[in-house]
Amino acid sequence: MNFADACMHPYPHGDSSVRRLAHEAAARGYDGIVCVGISPPPDTPVRVIPAAVVAGKTFKDISVQVRRESRSADLILACAGDAGLNRALLSYRGIHILKGVHAAPRRAFDHICARNAADSEIAVDISLQPLIGSRGAARQKVLQCYADILRLQRRYGFRLAISSDARSVLDLRHVRVIPHLCGLFGMEPAETTAALGTVGRLLHPDMPVEVLE
Amino acid sequence: MKPRPPTLRDRRRYVLAACAPEYREPDPKTLYYTVLDAATALYGDAATAAMQISVMAGVRGYAILRCRRGEEWRMITACATVTSLNGSRIALHPVAVSGTMHALRRRIRSIPEPSDGEEVMLEGEPYCVRQCSGQNIDLIKKSIKNQKTLYFTQKDREEF
Repeated sequence: MNFADACMHPYPHGDSSVRRLAHEAAARGYDGIVCVGISPPPDTPVRVIPAAVVAGKTFKDISVQVRRESRSADLILACAGDAGLNRALLSYRGIHILKGVHAAPRRAFDHICARNAADSEIAVDISLQPLIGSRGAARQKVLQCYADILRLQRRYGFRLAISSDARSVLDLRHVRVIPHLCGLFGMEPAETTAALGTVGRLLHPDMPVEVLE
Repeated sequence: MKPRPPTLRDRRRYVLAACAPEYREPDPKTLYYTVLDAATALYGDAATAAMQISVMAGVRGYAILRCRRGEEWRMITACATVTSLNGSRIALHPVAVSGTMHALRRRIRSIPEPSDGEEVMLEGEPYCVRQCSGQNIDLIKKSIKNQKTLYFTQKDREEF
């Protein structure tokens, strides 16, 4: 998968069905979508990856949820919390993507979190929803947060994932527009393309080379 | 003021944007103020003035916007942050960029009048089925206040 959206919320969490989201995603240039809380229907134009979002105050709460959800979901997305929780989550290989860093307290994602994310191969989610849906000071805060994450990513080399956090087909944006939206906080087009391919690399990680005879 | 000779005029680019939902027919004046607000919020007054945005036409499902050459991607990015028009939700997706409106008009696909069909009950509430192009259907909740729309496909409806 070259272009996959890292998080969508179909009906009943949102107002669009999985099939409709898949059709719209195909029309907008995606070849895969990650949908939360559903089982994927068989006949969709793009690959639908079932996922679960886990959230909690403590690492124990989250690890219990991860063990329960990992039976049915291919990808586990954990909501970010304070710095201590984020450091613990990013050292735990049961989760795949850390989301909601923009909504976490200030300095909740620091250089230690960045190093842990790089070591554990956990991606950090860049949600486009606050860039599209908010205005003024709220959007400026999100842009600052994403610029900060990008600076750490360039230093430590952890993975970034891009999600629309779409609850409706009207929240989806075309793949061609995403590099320009990400350019608002200094992300280069090549970095955006790599981030859009992160979901595929999380599902099929690079394995050690096996020599056959 | 006398019009400038062609060699002294600014070069322009025209952008064809598809509206979602596709049955929306945007009013050019309202869309102009909405896009201008979005561009100002994103880039500020000075950069928005340099873009020279205007809305040339609005037909069912499409709008043609104009800006100064070289600023088209900034305008498209501003259009991506438009989420509502006249109080109802909308999304603008770029289809094509050209130096002439004529080239863009050829890209416009005629969208049939949406047909409102029968009623269905979903979670105990009545919805009116609106048939869109292809397999898509929109379910519009029948109420005066808080009109809610659900975006489904025919296959989803068969599974109700």
